Amino acid sequence: MSATEIRGRFETPDFAEDDEDVVVIVGSGPGGGTLAHELCERGIRCVVLEAGPHLTAEDYVQDEWEAFNQMAWLDPRTTSGSFRLAKDFPNLPAWTVKAVGGTATHWAGATPRFKAHEFKTATHYGAIDGATLLDWPIALEDLEPYYDRAEEKMGVTHKGGRPALPANNNFKVMGGGAAEIGYRHIATGPYATNSVPYDGRPATVQDGFNFQGDKQESKWSPLVSELPKAAATGNLDLRAGCHVVQITHDARGRADGVLYLDEDGALHKQQARAVCVAGNAIETARLLLLSDSPLFPDGLANSSGQVGRNYMRHLTASVYGRFDREVKMWRGETMAGVVADESRHDTDRGFAGGYYMQLISLGVPFLAAFVEPGGWGPDFTRTMDAYASTAGMWLVGEDMPQADNRVTLDAGMTDAHGLPVPHVHFDDHPNDVAMREHAWTQGTKLYEAVGATGVHRTPPYPSTHNIGTCRMSARPEDGVVDEWGQAHDVPNLFVSDGSQFTTGAAANPTLTIVALGIRQAEHIASRVADGSL
Amino acid sequence: MATTPTPAAATPLTSPASRKLLRDIARAMYPHPSFPDGPYEEAVGVIVAAADQDVRLRAQLEQGLRDVDAVGAAPFSELDDDARLAVLRRIEGTAFFEHVRSRLVTGLYDQKAVWDLLGYEGPCTDENGYLDRGFDDLDWLPDPQIVDPHRDEIVR
Repeated sequence: MSATEIRGRFETPDFAEDDEDVVVIVGSGPGGGTLAHELCERGIRCVVLEAGPHLTAEDYVQDEWEAFNQMAWLDPRTTSGSFRLAKDFPNLPAWTVKAVGGTATHWAGATPRFKAHEFKTATHYGAIDGATLLDWPIALEDLEPYYDRAEEKMGVTHKGGRPALPANNNFKVMGGGAAEIGYRHIATGPYATNSVPYDGRPATVQDGFNFQGDKQESKWSPLVSELPKAAATGNLDLRAGCHVVQITHDARGRADGVLYLDEDGALHKQQARAVCVAGNAIETARLLLLSDSPLFPDGLANSSGQVGRNYMRHLTASVYGRFDREVKMWRGETMAGVVADESRHDTDRGFAGGYYMQLISLGVPFLAAFVEPGGWGPDFTRTMDAYASTAGMWLVGEDMPQADNRVTLDAGMTDAHGLPVPHVHFDDHPNDVAMREHAWTQGTKLYEAVGATGVHRTPPYPSTHNIGTCRMSARPEDGVVDEWGQAHDVPNLFVSDGSQFTTGAAANPTLTIVALGIRQAEHIASRVADGSL
Repeated sequence: MATTPTPAAATPLTSPASRKLLRDIARAMYPHPSFPDGPYEEAVGVIVAAADQDVRLRAQLEQGLRDVDAVGAAPFSELDDDARLAVLRRIEGTAFFEHVRSRLVTGLYDQKAVWDLLGYEGPCTDENGYLDRGFDDLDWLPDPQIVDPHRDEIVR
């Protein structure tokens, strides 16, 4: 690959720090990157502040630990609660990315849409003890046109005439087992990595290193799509290595800018006509809580007390099946396989909501770290000895929102900047436990149906789907933002990432974050046009 | 009284005996009969190097290695495999055990030699991935039908 072909490498102009006309966007992932692109195309200048470095395809390494240390968000966090991560990875509750492009840098590419009833869970699931279910203030039909546009942006397979990805080795096992036990919704997508060249980016070469960036740029991410397109308009100022420490406001309680530290630790103030926060659910809530003031004593936009609450992380669990023949699961697209039969809402199974079975493959270093955290001894090494003959699936489903599953500021620990670190409290809800048990059991049956000689039930990895914490609500007392992602309390403050999800649905969140980003950009642009922003 | 300079003694941790004991612990903790000693010795090197930068870790390791020899019926290296496993089960959950285990699980399995032993191919050596190198070469199951996910979609 020649240097000029790297789409993720681009330059942007410097806008003035006292320029009050810019929109400041905190975070450059699927939420922030999409919003920036859509606003820039409409002539609205944006300053995107990204805490991480501007890595590109030539920086990525096909080595699990080296890549993890290169791009993961490793700033300390603390945990409590009954979820197993509090024991297994007490300072790493989430596995997100700190780099331009955000967590889409390591996402795999699965893009199911939410189902209609998943926007209305209070209505359809009814009262569930301990769960703070709430209907979204929007419905599927409100989001459908934006799903269409998001899928075109991202080059989702099975859409727009784009072909399915081919079946890889790992999929042959999962798909075969699924058919054997009577499942019918078996596919390699929808998936946002190119099956054929699209949007100036090549088709996948099936190298299997999605979680480490993508050296071929065939996988959609803001780094290779939204951000360079935004830069081409001349309306984007992307500042990497810039960590926002506070959102500031004027005497009327309107946001007027942000304070941030640059990569040398110097403090800056950037003025803004509006501030949009897209730092991923834990950091987004943390920033609002860090922005407390005499006018907003409990944190910015937190008169409801809901900031940080209803943190969700999806069901997550995995099943690894051992066979007496080789699988070589690491070859090919990491997550290009979906079995959707269990994604339905069917309480006869003993729980509300649904889950997907999706392909997953880990290399030897990560399988050792994650297949059975804390594991050792002969049982553990039998699993590792079978590596080449192992197939893997990830189980991703809706978890219940709970008021006390919550991000707060930890008064006892500060980060390298001296800021209180986020504390993540999470208790599994009985519905989550029942769904996980069902999913493990079905995954086991699936692999046994095609001859598995052993099956391992793997507990959750550090969370890659972090949602809730600033949820969308019709009534200001029930949530943090309205149907546009605009804070109920602050008319020019927006939440632009998965934090605004009222409930989590079973689907991987990125497609919905992108769709909401397009919709929010239209709203912001209309308010800029009518002079109210 | 005359003083004579004492030669720098090998620390208890870097001595050949300690390294061998750590290697035996490593093999008992992560027993792969097919592995030669090399990967275990390499992983032990990672632990010893970490202890060089971390006084607490070094202190824990030096005391822990003495205890490991005291817990069983005989010094650890003289025990058979089952007895070694029993010693490790007795000390599972101690800080020493976890210091060793957590570093071994990364230090052992993050080696190219171990990947080769387990059949993992690791990074793609060219820019063409596994596209022409067997991403779909599994032949002991039929190719599953890929169903259009938008046909007959599950709506509820």
